[in-house]
Amino acid sequence: MAAHTTKMLCVSLGRIHGPRLGLCPPLGRATYATALSTDRFTGNKGPHDRGGRGPFPRRARRDPGKPRTEKMDSGDLDWTTVYPSATPFRPGSVPLPVRMGYPVKGGVPPEKKGNLELVKIPNFLHLTPAAIKKHCEALKPFCTEWPSGLDTEADLDQHFPIRVQSTSYVSAGPSVRNPAARVIHLRVKLSSLNLDDHARKKMLKLLGDRYRKDTDILTVKTDSCPLRQQNLDYAMYLLTALFHESWKTEAWESEITRADFLDYVWEDSASQHSILDTLTRMTAPGEAQGEGEAAAEEAAPPPREQLLGRAEVQEYRESVTRVKNEKESESATLRYREAVKKVLGL
Amino acid sequence: MALQRVSFRLRQTVARVRSIHTSGCGHQQEALAAEPERNPEPFSIFRTQESDPAGQSEKHIGQYYTIPPAHIQTVFPHGLPARFQVQMKTFNEGCVMVRPPALEVISYLKKADYSKPALRFLFFWLDGVKGSGKTMSLCHTVHYCATQGWLVVHIPDAHLWVKNCKELLPSSYNAARFDQPLQATNWLRNFRVTNEQFLSKIQTRHRYVWTKREFTEEGRPLGELVDQGIARVKSSSDVVGAVIKELRLQSSQPEAGFRMAVAVDGVNALWGRSSIKKEDRSPVSVEELTLVHNLRKLVKNDWCGGAIIATLSQTGSLYTPKTSYLPHELLGEEGFDRMDPFVPVTVSNYSEKEFESCYLYYQDRHWLQHSQSRTEEGKKEIVFMSCRNPTALERLCAFL
Repeated sequence: MAAHTTKMLCVSLGRIHGPRLGLCPPLGRATYATALSTDRFTGNKGPHDRGGRGPFPRRARRDPGKPRTEKMDSGDLDWTTVYPSATPFRPGSVPLPVRMGYPVKGGVPPEKKGNLELVKIPNFLHLTPAAIKKHCEALKPFCTEWPSGLDTEADLDQHFPIRVQSTSYVSAGPSVRNPAARVIHLRVKLSSLNLDDHARKKMLKLLGDRYRKDTDILTVKTDSCPLRQQNLDYAMYLLTALFHESWKTEAWESEITRADFLDYVWEDSASQHSILDTLTRMTAPGEAQGEGEAAAEEAAPPPREQLLGRAEVQEYRESVTRVKNEKESESATLRYREAVKKVLGL
Repeated sequence: MALQRVSFRLRQTVARVRSIHTSGCGHQQEALAAEPERNPEPFSIFRTQESDPAGQSEKHIGQYYTIPPAHIQTVFPHGLPARFQVQMKTFNEGCVMVRPPALEVISYLKKADYSKPALRFLFFWLDGVKGSGKTMSLCHTVHYCATQGWLVVHIPDAHLWVKNCKELLPSSYNAARFDQPLQATNWLRNFRVTNEQFLSKIQTRHRYVWTKREFTEEGRPLGELVDQGIARVKSSSDVVGAVIKELRLQSSQPEAGFRMAVAVDGVNALWGRSSIKKEDRSPVSVEELTLVHNLRKLVKNDWCGGAIIATLSQTGSLYTPKTSYLPHELLGEEGFDRMDPFVPVTVSNYSEKEFESCYLYYQDRHWLQHSQSRTEEGKKEIVFMSCRNPTALERLCAFL
């Protein structure tokens, strides 16, 4: 085995050595040959020589002439005729000193003439304000009048609470269909739906992140069906189902615990228990010692409602709710501090 | 000769300080500048002779007071932060700045009615900056309580009880809990040092059985209970529980004759998570630790005749994001409900006056050696670098 491999090695070594030895003379010849051939190539095919030596003289190139920008009169120029549709950048037609590209060292970017960089990028020269105005004028005969009584956003929200949004695509391509055109966004203000407290909370649970608290808007996005109309129907169905489901009260809903609440509720919370406990223990012995037996009897049953009705306890309640609901807030903590100081009488 | 030179230099410093503070607190400095004639000790602009925290008031804000060395031995056998201990050794004195948060709590403590349930104070830092002096404010308050003759239950860092536990034993009292004998013994030893005078006065109200043969009878002094815990390491955690129970029961009695201050540093550890593992490598939850279980009872305000002072600290806590600093974030839902209602006391960075005082103090102790640090430019640079944060300032000045 070992012998075999060594033999193989020897063979391969021999192969490497062989051609190397033989290569040296042809290399020298090749350099000679290339020198010759280049000489011949330039002699025969160079445009210089052919033009000078051949029997037919080359036809003169057409003069490019003056660019269109110089012929333009800025006074009564209709720009929409220069760029009627989306076209690549034409340096001769745009009377702007545009420059683009990587500048040479210590210089400026190359100018527009013969500048490929300007051709590569898309432009909006066909969508100038003048062109859009013209477009609108052309569309005006086909428009109907805006209905009266819908002048403000509030009117719109009141009469048309549901807003459906979809996008149409027009493109110059092999197909006029665009898959993104089927997507439907349905938006409703939650306050415009007829919901009671329970139904609203259940709706929020069902909606999850489809509801935005700051704008009070729920958004249903449907894109599972192939056609826009189907998606629209599906979105309306979802809204209907959501509405009716949230009005139902299932048997298991009675098992709701404090941990399931969306917002912190102070009533019957640990905080309420502890403050009531503290306050009853703070008041009871003090009054008993201060005003004798009659006052002690009066104060003996802890007047829960009376304690809860106090202004400072109410303030305390609000501050705790705020601390719990907006957790990362310094101002809430400082307010809590003031409220506690008032409640404990510091 | 040398004395003359020193006094000359001092006068210069005082004059410079006065020129800095021209607008803000002029009349106060006038009063302070007049003091050297009365006092044998020089330098009163950043020092106060009022070493009793009870006598300190708003006019002492920003000034340093010296804790008597005897108090350091007894009141703070373990309570001071490590860097402050090193600084005390270097400067050969324990000086603490009088700052508004501690003064605020002390003023509440002075006014409070002790027949009512214990008040709870919570130092936390505003603006989310670390090292603003919560622990030092706590120590200042503890010093006040100790000088008033209160019984001080001081837990220097509750975070240490929920991590790095060398020995973990299943509790003999309740099999579901775990004892930490080392921590418990350590704490009992320091408790004995701090409250030497109370140990013989307070009598136990219950009978405690430790093993078949060892028990503590009803009516024995508390010191015996503590000694039992130190001598018998195995039952030390339960002894801590018993001591806490006795203190809670007796401080509520009007005839108790003592007030109790509970000072807990890093109270958020009580409702956090621990990094201690059981034998089967599952994590120990915090309420399973005997020490924490008992401490939670102490922090509850169902007893009277005292106060609970605590700090929240992110430093050293486990599994909390570095950016959280507000009480609700650090305590968590459960902890907030248990501590509620408490008075949050904000501790912020040095004010301009406090910074000036600290700067002068470091200069006085020859702590600022760099030639540039004494110039106006150097001071501006220090302000910029430290942002007037006490810890940052201390660390920055360590190499100047």
